[in-house]
Amino acid sequence: MEADNTSVPMKILVALLFIFLLAPVILVVPLSFSGEQILSFPPESWSLRWYAALADNPKMISAFWTSLLLGAIVTAISLAVAIPAAYVIVRMRTLGSSFLYNLFTAPLLLPTIVLGLAILIVFASIGFLGTFPGLIIGHLVITLPYALRVLATTLGNLNLACEEAASTLGARPITVFRRVTLPMMAPGIVAATALCFLVSFDEVVITLFLTGPRLTTLPVELFHHVESRADPLVASVSVLLILLTLAVVMIVDRSVGLSKTFVK
Amino acid sequence: MMHQTILSGSPTVSDDRDVHLRLDGLTKTYGNSVAVSALDLSVPKGELVALLGPSGCGKTTTLRMVAGLIQPTGGRIVVGSNDITAMPTYRRDMGLVFQSYALFPHMTVAKNVAFGLEMRSVPKAEIERRVKEALAMVRLEALAERKPRELSGGQQQRVALARALVIRPSILLLDEPLSNLDAKLRDEMRNEIRDIQQSLGITAVFVTHDQVEALSMCDKVVVMRAGKLEQVGTPIDVYEHPATPFVASFVGRTNRLEGRARGDGTVDVGPMSVRVPGRPGGNVEIMVRPHRIRLLDADAAQGASGEGTNLLSGRLTRVTFVGDLLQYQVDVGGTEIVVEAASDHGRGIRSVGSPVALAWRVEDTMVFGRSA
Repeated sequence: MEADNTSVPMKILVALLFIFLLAPVILVVPLSFSGEQILSFPPESWSLRWYAALADNPKMISAFWTSLLLGAIVTAISLAVAIPAAYVIVRMRTLGSSFLYNLFTAPLLLPTIVLGLAILIVFASIGFLGTFPGLIIGHLVITLPYALRVLATTLGNLNLACEEAASTLGARPITVFRRVTLPMMAPGIVAATALCFLVSFDEVVITLFLTGPRLTTLPVELFHHVESRADPLVASVSVLLILLTLAVVMIVDRSVGLSKTFVK
Repeated sequence: MMHQTILSGSPTVSDDRDVHLRLDGLTKTYGNSVAVSALDLSVPKGELVALLGPSGCGKTTTLRMVAGLIQPTGGRIVVGSNDITAMPTYRRDMGLVFQSYALFPHMTVAKNVAFGLEMRSVPKAEIERRVKEALAMVRLEALAERKPRELSGGQQQRVALARALVIRPSILLLDEPLSNLDAKLRDEMRNEIRDIQQSLGITAVFVTHDQVEALSMCDKVVVMRAGKLEQVGTPIDVYEHPATPFVASFVGRTNRLEGRARGDGTVDVGPMSVRVPGRPGGNVEIMVRPHRIRLLDADAAQGASGEGTNLLSGRLTRVTFVGDLLQYQVDVGGTEIVVEAASDHGRGIRSVGSPVALAWRVEDTMVFGRSA
């Protein structure tokens, strides 16, 4: 622990901010244990019935597996594309490097609704709507920029001299990359993995355009559920989602450290 | 090796069989700016040569071209009798020690040192033995299983040295290896690097901006300025007989006076007359090292005067105690001259404002021509 020299008003402000940010999350937990038929706070009776209902809801379960698989595949492809791309852009500086970087990270600046609409129009014409490959490509549009940005920053901050040292010691370029560059990028790769997975797993706006009656992701299924009914099932799903997110963040923290991964 | 060189029939190479590394008109330009300009240099086998100069003089660029990390725009790099100008870094067989150490942070000390041997597919048992030897050479056997970040700066630099030497490189390159260390450690490492280099008899090129490192460690000093050679010589040559005013002022401290030579062995500096060696003419620059000047009381000055001595009188304007040295600033007819004397328990400090005389031998006066 560092020396605590924060002033009292500052502490109060920070506490208020935390409450403001976390209130919805905290509220969801008691709601999920509600015994009521509809969402109301505070619940008048308590039960586990909505967790049981979740287990009996095949649509939610299948949507969950879809989301999980989708997140895993999208993350894997994002890394497979972004690692070499970051290397080319940062290490092999050419005239087009900064142009390419800006082009690849541009989707971050566009409103997702615009992206979603654009993807809808293209996919409708080639019959990709409501298909799993369609979902993968749609999600890649938004996860790739994150992956590229994180990895390019990581690579840019590495001591180039380490790679040069490896080559003077007799390592060919591909060996330098495999034995030195890649391991040194590990914190960035973990961060990019977590970020891509969470972005894909959470994504609603673009996915809304791409899912169909047979294929849907968990956030979209939740969204549709809330549209038609107002029962506490959403709360129990939300609690599970929060736990999953927390698990990912904790894995990151345990393996490389949160501040090292996301702050720098 | 030597036979090959003779048989190769290249006249320039066979002239000088002991030359290990040769740079022929080595040039590097970036757009319109010239980093290194047609550099010619020969490094004999087993010598430690310093590339000395201020930042931006092209010394590091030169070293990096030798290592293959920068592709030259012109000229050749020859090792033994092989032209390696176009050879990729990983085939050059050179050990490079970086200013930033550049240890692999994800590997232990032993793994760092073993890296170059693994790249050469050395058998495992031999790797283990040679890593041990190399770590013993830099006295770090005990830290073999540590990660670099758990080591002090000096230890990290010794690992880097072991890593570069364990592959038995043909040439050892050192890029300001001591600049990130504190003063005491720097002195130790200086001796350590020199001892290791001499015991292995390895040819080495040492880049530094620190004249003390260059003078104290190296067989030969190459003073560079703005991408060009200013002077190549032994440390004593470069210090005692600088070829240019730049070398005189960059290597060691010096007093600089401008004047007009009469052609009879004297130079007019303002109202004063200074005797110099030889009979130069025209506009000249005169330099005298501060420790070559003796500071005398004004009334004792007459006795010191003589044919071989320059004698000027002035007024003491400042005295600085620097521990082992006393630095005097003396105003001589409007020109400031610095004198250094060994300090003896702070005895003999004269008071500021007192009239003093400066005396130095004519042969200690360096003269350089000056345009306009």
